[in-house]
Amino acid sequence: MINTTPVTERSISEMDDELLPVPTHRLHGPAHFLGLYAAEHVAATEFVIGAAFVAMGATIQDILIGLLIGNTLATMSFWLITAPIAIKTRLSLYTYLDQNMGEKFSRFYNVANVLIFVAISAAMITVSATAVRVLFDIPPQIYPYPTNVYFVIIAASASVIAVLVAYYGFNVLSEFATICAPWLMVMFTAGGMVLIPSLNETLTGYTTLSSFSDFVNLAGTTVFTGTNAAGEPGIGLWEVIGFAWAANTFAHFGLIDMALLRYAKKSIYGLCTATGMMFGHYIAWISAALMGAATAYLMQLSIAVVSPGDVAFYALGATGFVIVIIAGWTTANSNLYRAGLAAQAVVPSVSRQRVTLVVGAVVVIASCFPFIYRSILPLLTYAGLILVPVGGIVFAEQQIFPRIGCKSNWHRLKGVKNNVPALIAWGISLVFGFGLNFLNIIPFVYLFVPTWLVSIVAYTLLAKRYGADRSWPEAEKREQEFQKQVEAYHAVLAEKERHVHVRRATVSIKIIRAIWIVIGLIVPAVLAWRVLFHSPNIYDYYVNRELFYDLTIWCTVIYFAFAWSDLQLSKRLQRSGQSSGAEVPAV
Amino acid sequence: MRSNSTLNNMMSLEEMVQILNSLLRCGTALCICCVASLAHAQATITIATVNNGDMIRMQDLSEDFTKDNPDIKLNWVTLKENVLRQRVTTDIATKGGQFDVLTIGIYEAPIWAKRGWLVPLDDLPEDYDVEDILPTIREGLSVDGTLYAAPFYGESSFTMYRTDLFEKAGLVMPEKPTWAFIKDAARKLADKGNEVYGICLRGKPGWGENMAFLTAMANSYGARWFDMDWKPQFDGEAWKATITDYVQLMKEVGPPDASANGYNETLAQFQSGKCAIWIDATSAGQFVTNADSGVADRVGFALAPDKGLGKSANWLWAWALAIPTESDNKDAAKKFVAWATSKHYLELVASKGGWSNVPPGTRTSLYENPEYQKAPYAKITLASILAADPKHPTVEEVPYTGIQFVAIPEFQSIGTAVGQRFAEALAGRITVDEALGNAQWVTEKVVERARFLKRGQAAQ
Repeated sequence: MINTTPVTERSISEMDDELLPVPTHRLHGPAHFLGLYAAEHVAATEFVIGAAFVAMGATIQDILIGLLIGNTLATMSFWLITAPIAIKTRLSLYTYLDQNMGEKFSRFYNVANVLIFVAISAAMITVSATAVRVLFDIPPQIYPYPTNVYFVIIAASASVIAVLVAYYGFNVLSEFATICAPWLMVMFTAGGMVLIPSLNETLTGYTTLSSFSDFVNLAGTTVFTGTNAAGEPGIGLWEVIGFAWAANTFAHFGLIDMALLRYAKKSIYGLCTATGMMFGHYIAWISAALMGAATAYLMQLSIAVVSPGDVAFYALGATGFVIVIIAGWTTANSNLYRAGLAAQAVVPSVSRQRVTLVVGAVVVIASCFPFIYRSILPLLTYAGLILVPVGGIVFAEQQIFPRIGCKSNWHRLKGVKNNVPALIAWGISLVFGFGLNFLNIIPFVYLFVPTWLVSIVAYTLLAKRYGADRSWPEAEKREQEFQKQVEAYHAVLAEKERHVHVRRATVSIKIIRAIWIVIGLIVPAVLAWRVLFHSPNIYDYYVNRELFYDLTIWCTVIYFAFAWSDLQLSKRLQRSGQSSGAEVPAV
Repeated sequence: MRSNSTLNNMMSLEEMVQILNSLLRCGTALCICCVASLAHAQATITIATVNNGDMIRMQDLSEDFTKDNPDIKLNWVTLKENVLRQRVTTDIATKGGQFDVLTIGIYEAPIWAKRGWLVPLDDLPEDYDVEDILPTIREGLSVDGTLYAAPFYGESSFTMYRTDLFEKAGLVMPEKPTWAFIKDAARKLADKGNEVYGICLRGKPGWGENMAFLTAMANSYGARWFDMDWKPQFDGEAWKATITDYVQLMKEVGPPDASANGYNETLAQFQSGKCAIWIDATSAGQFVTNADSGVADRVGFALAPDKGLGKSANWLWAWALAIPTESDNKDAAKKFVAWATSKHYLELVASKGGWSNVPPGTRTSLYENPEYQKAPYAKITLASILAADPKHPTVEEVPYTGIQFVAIPEFQSIGTAVGQRFAEALAGRITVDEALGNAQWVTEKVVERARFLKRGQAAQ
């Protein structure tokens, strides 16, 4: 029997904000989510996933249409599945599971998260290490295992540094990550633009494309050829749709993004995820694929084994090293942190330091194996398959139970330690999902759909059997009391936070901001535009490309220097505003 | 009963042995049948080829091969040259295994062979007569003495000239002309008012167009693309002399808008009587002397010019058939390659379309054939091909092979980029010095970047 008394009777104001629903006054409008998702979905993984589609042999038509459909499905999943539950509960999934699924379920969930986040962290560190290998004259690592001791040393050293930074300097690096997003978006797009003329020249003898159909022909002949890395017919439209949809299953069907969308005023803001899907998972994937194909052609290597470091260097010059290291490291940092937290939740008796060190040691070893980053797309798909039933179980509680006379929070009301139906339903779903995978009846990218449905049906039936449709008047009354206390606390909080004193940006901050926007973002974009549209022949192409390479690295330095200054000055201004008490409307 | 029974049992044992024996024989026979039927299973070989006249003719005549090899089916993938190069390069680099036979040039053959992408052709049938392949062509397609691609077409470059105009001007073309003679003769023969130009040379930009000619010309001037440290050499005197002479001569006595003229345009000009001298591919010999040519009976041939430094301005090119190591039908592919590049195939073409249509430049026996020797260009073509040395293309030592190209993967794009600057100089839009400066810059940048990216690759 679990005792919910501490939650309801503890002083609400003493509780960690994470354990309470998000107060109404902290909710955000659509602009926040448009920006947030655009930034969230442009990471180092995009280099690898773009190339993976080429290696799997998709055709250009399937890519253009399939990614559009798949990403539309993903956006709709955020809108129709994740956002309504996030808005209804206003909790993160971790808190929801902690409060409604019992200790064991949360522990299993955290174990799965540790494994997934460790794999993603290791993959991203390997991606960063590939950028450094050229500087040390190390051969490209084309096999699943490392073939050069120096590569092992570099990957392991990068991991050790990443683990230490994640442990001691997580906040600094995650703050730094927030300023990377606009730059990453520009660089991903620019990289593809810079290499299109070169690819076109090898095929047609011309550097210019006169129409979109020219682009389709070029990409179809050189990049998305319909033949996979083994020379066999590649994946089709259904698989492309499935991969695009499944790439974020743990975020939408698996509900991890409740953590972000719980701040949305309306569930329709779930559609704002389209910026991430349509930029990061459409333009950036296609751009990364173009870059990968051009580099593979130049290096005469298979795109299946060409490394992100080489791709980025060829597409973006010295800036390429920076993009791979930064994109890889910032992605690894947040995932290492998540892995550490999840691991700590699994073994709360062991100190955080020791847990992080153990997780870090695993990451160090895993980062030496290039097959992990090359398998990122299937890895994300299978990770989704493991976590999707959890989303299905929560979906059943929040959307099905109220309609069939069951209580959404029946487990908490009942007061039992473990939510056995949830544990069994998850187990059944995993056996079902991986069983289907073993039988190879449907493409593995779609396994999450029937698995999700099975988890809903299994949990609904089992929970009903365990008494989800019963009443617990006393506990329900206690819950209502608790909700009232939360509402009262939020009202006080809202009153307090309505008078947050923020100063408007000073002239100097505005100048700094203008500098990083113009020099850091607009100038490289214009230079890339010049390479693509103003290179009438291969010589002019090289002139424009070298100019892009030479200037963009300095634009990058200026971007980071000024964007960081902007961030720090804005923070300082905010702090000084708070202490001076000048009143301006909250932002 | 017991003894009978024992006897019966003994007989059963014998019978059993017999039955086992029979089964064994049947099994063996069945196995042999299976193996035999497997051996006769039809193999389909996919051939990636370029859409030129010679290859189209080969497809038309391929019935001759399939008739003798009913167990081999041919699947032709015919593509434009650039598309073919892209598709084939991608396929072989990624070990795709889409093709069993590849059409590749003398440029790709050594690069790919060194990377272990091609099957060595060291066990071709005895009647194939590898020794009959012209030595320079054979060397260009070999690595460490092993042939990796079998040639079906070969060419060098030579000097074609109008005998009537030479006679009229009282000039005699030496068999081995020098650049000094060519320049002098071109100036004397030019009659621009009557649209007769002293000399016609390629001007259209492209690594296989103006740069094929200019690189070969530069070799004879003592120039080279790179020194032994891979440093570009366009800032040297030899390149300056080459491009200066080329631009000056073409401006003085060449046709107008020469920077737009490639091989085809110049051939048309020569055929219509507008050129007194033309230095270009030996394969042009048959076209300037056939029925399409207005000057067929007034054409003479000589070797490509030199500058007395030991290297002539002649190049070497071959189209060849190779088998990728990823092919699942290597034996069948080898049979096809042997047929398509054999003496028998040359005779087959001659029997259907005459000796003038036979793919030239591959076999010594072709040039020993009295019928073929009747062609006025045959002797000089053979001499030109034999004189080419792709392993030592320049006066000074170089780290690369190839005469009119540098056998590195980046050459296609830098060759074309440099060609564009030289075409600009020819058109008068930039100076020769500017063009050479641009050539030096672009070559340096591209090679430096490519070599940086490939660091460590060789160690693999």
